[in-house]
Amino acid sequence: MLWIQECANEGGITITQLLEVTNLSVSYHTYAGEVQSVRGISFDVKEGETLAIVGESGCGKSVTARSIMGLIKPPIGEIKLSSEIRYRGKNILTFTSKEWAYYRGGESSIIFQDALTALNPTMTIGDQITENIFAHEKISKKAAVERATGLLEQVGIPDASKKLKSYPHQLSGGMRQRVMIAIAFACNPKLLIADEPTTALDVTIQAQILDMIRSLQVKKNTSVMLITHDLGIVANIASRVIIMYSGRIVERGSSDDIFYHPKHPYTIALLRAIPKLTDKSKEKLYSIEGRPPDLLDPPKGCPFAARCPYCMNVCVEANPESFDFGLGHTASCWLHHSQAPKVEWSI
Amino acid sequence: MLIYTFRRLAEMILTLFIIATATFFLLAAVPGDPISDRVEKLPTQIRHNMYAKYGLNKPLLQRYVITMKGLAVGNFGESIIYPGQTVQSILHDKLPASARLGIQQMVLGITIGLGLGIIAAMKKNTWIDYSIITAAILLISIPHLIFGLLLQKMFAGNLGWFPVIGWPKGKDLWTGGWEYTILPTLTGCFAYIASYTRLLKTSMLDVVNQDYILTAESKGISKARVVLKHVLRNSMIPIITNLPMSIAMCITGSFFIERIFSIPGIGMYYVTSVNGRDLPLIMGQTVIISAIYVTVIFITDVLYTIVDPRIQIQGGRK
Amino acid sequence: MELTKISFKKYNGKRLNAEELSGYSATYWKDVWRRLMVNPTAMLSLAALVIIIILVIIGPLISGHDISSINPRRANLNPSLENWFGTDNLGRDLFTRVWYGARASIIVALVCTLIQTVTGCLYGGVMAYFGGWVDEVLMRIIEVMTSMPTLLITILTMMVLGNGMVALLVAMSVTSWCGTARLIRGQVMQLREAEYVLAAVALGASPFWVILKHLIPNTFGLLMLTIATSIPDYIFTEAGLSFLGIGLQPPNTSLGVLISIGQQTMDFFPIQLLVPGLILCTIVLAFNLLGDGLRDALDPRMRQ
Repeated sequence: MLWIQECANEGGITITQLLEVTNLSVSYHTYAGEVQSVRGISFDVKEGETLAIVGESGCGKSVTARSIMGLIKPPIGEIKLSSEIRYRGKNILTFTSKEWAYYRGGESSIIFQDALTALNPTMTIGDQITENIFAHEKISKKAAVERATGLLEQVGIPDASKKLKSYPHQLSGGMRQRVMIAIAFACNPKLLIADEPTTALDVTIQAQILDMIRSLQVKKNTSVMLITHDLGIVANIASRVIIMYSGRIVERGSSDDIFYHPKHPYTIALLRAIPKLTDKSKEKLYSIEGRPPDLLDPPKGCPFAARCPYCMNVCVEANPESFDFGLGHTASCWLHHSQAPKVEWSI
Repeated sequence: MLIYTFRRLAEMILTLFIIATATFFLLAAVPGDPISDRVEKLPTQIRHNMYAKYGLNKPLLQRYVITMKGLAVGNFGESIIYPGQTVQSILHDKLPASARLGIQQMVLGITIGLGLGIIAAMKKNTWIDYSIITAAILLISIPHLIFGLLLQKMFAGNLGWFPVIGWPKGKDLWTGGWEYTILPTLTGCFAYIASYTRLLKTSMLDVVNQDYILTAESKGISKARVVLKHVLRNSMIPIITNLPMSIAMCITGSFFIERIFSIPGIGMYYVTSVNGRDLPLIMGQTVIISAIYVTVIFITDVLYTIVDPRIQIQGGRK
Repeated sequence: MELTKISFKKYNGKRLNAEELSGYSATYWKDVWRRLMVNPTAMLSLAALVIIIILVIIGPLISGHDISSINPRRANLNPSLENWFGTDNLGRDLFTRVWYGARASIIVALVCTLIQTVTGCLYGGVMAYFGGWVDEVLMRIIEVMTSMPTLLITILTMMVLGNGMVALLVAMSVTSWCGTARLIRGQVMQLREAEYVLAAVALGASPFWVILKHLIPNTFGLLMLTIATSIPDYIFTEAGLSFLGIGLQPPNTSLGVLISIGQQTMDFFPIQLLVPGLILCTIVLAFNLLGDGLRDALDPRMRQ
């Protein structure tokens, strides 16, 4: 595990790429056949930034998160051999168990959607927090408990030292998610994966939780990968956004690019689906017709073709290449091909 | 906790009272009376004395009251087929053998069963898992009595490694005479191995699929710690629920095993007393066995709250 | 691929929706059946059960021997062309007797399972339907009944009712329905509180209809499982009672009766114990394996 420290101290050269995912493909083997959940995606996470991955359920965003945490379990789950996930330059898919132990919980950590099921019901929350600390540091029991108390205070849990002895079912939903965050930040990880951290919570608590993640991130210079189906919560938080659809990245760009200059019909549809307070028209809330394709047998063309209002002949024939709009803004859509008709759209 | 215990104790006593009452009237409904066969050829006067001795000349309700009063102070009356012996003295003699057999087979069977269950769950979908589970199903498909008879014939009869029948007595009652206890223990323990292996495997696979196992794994703790602290603890909840069933299995098993190996325990004497229509003895044994069983159910409920903090005893029943 | 002008014309062909694209959409029951079909052990045990049932029906007829004709000169014979499984101590053909016995055992098990299921469903249904104090009282009754080891109740009941067939049926199913009743009660209660049922009721559906419509498919699987695991239990108990001298007795025949007769001559003619014992184990094993396959098929999480 020394390589990680070495990399960090490499004579004054700042490494900005914390995580590089290249051609990641993940399949699940079920009774019905092979489900290709993630189909060759590539992206990177820079140090200290917030990257949002947005898509509807089943688009492969959670599978991506789990792959990065090494939670894909063979023989049911399979990460294809051509995939690479480099953390500070080293492919985590070739990690030894010692390296995994160092990386997981210490360098990277994850928050799940539903804290009630993500916390062990038969263990006090104090034990669940200190477990993470003991796994990565040689520390006395007393010091670990003190640190856990401090963490709970930081995430805004009142009466922290008392709460250490309670069990998850004794806390409210918002409190449980705070505990999850305390566990995730226990060893000051460099990378935090938040997999739908606020989906199970009330809207008012959602904002509090996101703010807290944000402030802890700034304080500890952590990179955050925020995974969500809700484009609405992304705008103020993420510096860059990736839009996923049926196992592929369809558009990526800075937050501004995505919100003000979207280039993919799916992104546009997602933006339209966000309810707006200013909207005075009596129209129904916009919804995207149809369903995503079955990943047991993915279509050979663009996966969005079946639901796309601009679908062309080429769309059902071939998967679109990625078109570059500069400064890291790309979209995979045939509409941007030089021969394609120009389409005007509004959000 | 204290209030809960008292309430449960009261409930247990009420349950036992109902069981005793039901048993009494059930036995009263048995056609004929228990000593008629025995006293037929005796002179009238002696016959009358015999009826009076067991109180059988009194009306039903009066007999009921006498019986229940006796039960309350631990006096179960005198046995009919073992004249001169009180039921409590018979129970006192016979219980240790059954208890030793039961404890030995449960300890051995549950330990091996849980061990195999862990292995099967960890090696899920490999040949190891398949062979363990297949063996478990094979084993529960062989009834105690056939298994016991086969073991007895092979190892005691043909090979002569162990005594065919019998049970340690006197100073060997609890810790000696192992050669007598091996075959009966083996006969009984296979049922436990089979059921606990399957139960723990199912329960572990259920727990392994839970999100909190992913959380535990993402903390970077060792695989052994994930299994011990997170998977096993939570998998134990259904195992504990199964405890009363194990005791029932032990009692059921004792009826057969004790008869096959002629072990002087409660199971064998229960059958003897039923066949001999020895009402006081049946009554006493039924009440004692039920009392043990009800106590185990109570212990199970308490254990349950210890293992699973979500269950709160103040709330009463689950 | 060559891109032409036509490639970029609006696509007017048929657009496949996800459901149509998948080509794979099966109902729950079809799925369960399919999973059961691909499970070789379950299919093998199903085949074994079919063969056993055929033998139970026609076995006694094809041996050419009658069940009760005694022939002392042909007693205790080993298996031969004349007597396929040999003969017993009275010279009766064991092949005929074993299948007769198996027939009795299976019938006893099936009838008890039927009693258990019907009583359990009715009792559980009443508990859940009425709720309140009715539920409370009925539940207490179950609690008392289950706070006694089952075999004790069975033995006591047999003692009161005698050694006949009817007594056996009653004695063996006297407590077994409690589990089924609890299962049904739990299912109905769960359904009553399920949000989709509340929604359906709010939309004006009759709650009775809703429960019926959802209860049967939801509970059917669990009930099948209970049945598959109950049958071997009954076969065991019947054999055990006969062995203890409490169940069916000669001249009645069942696997249990044959085993306890076989045990008496075990040292000299082990075949007389082995044959009924082996058949009993095969039947029970087949039911257990089938039940196991069914469990996996109903709950695919277990295998994935």
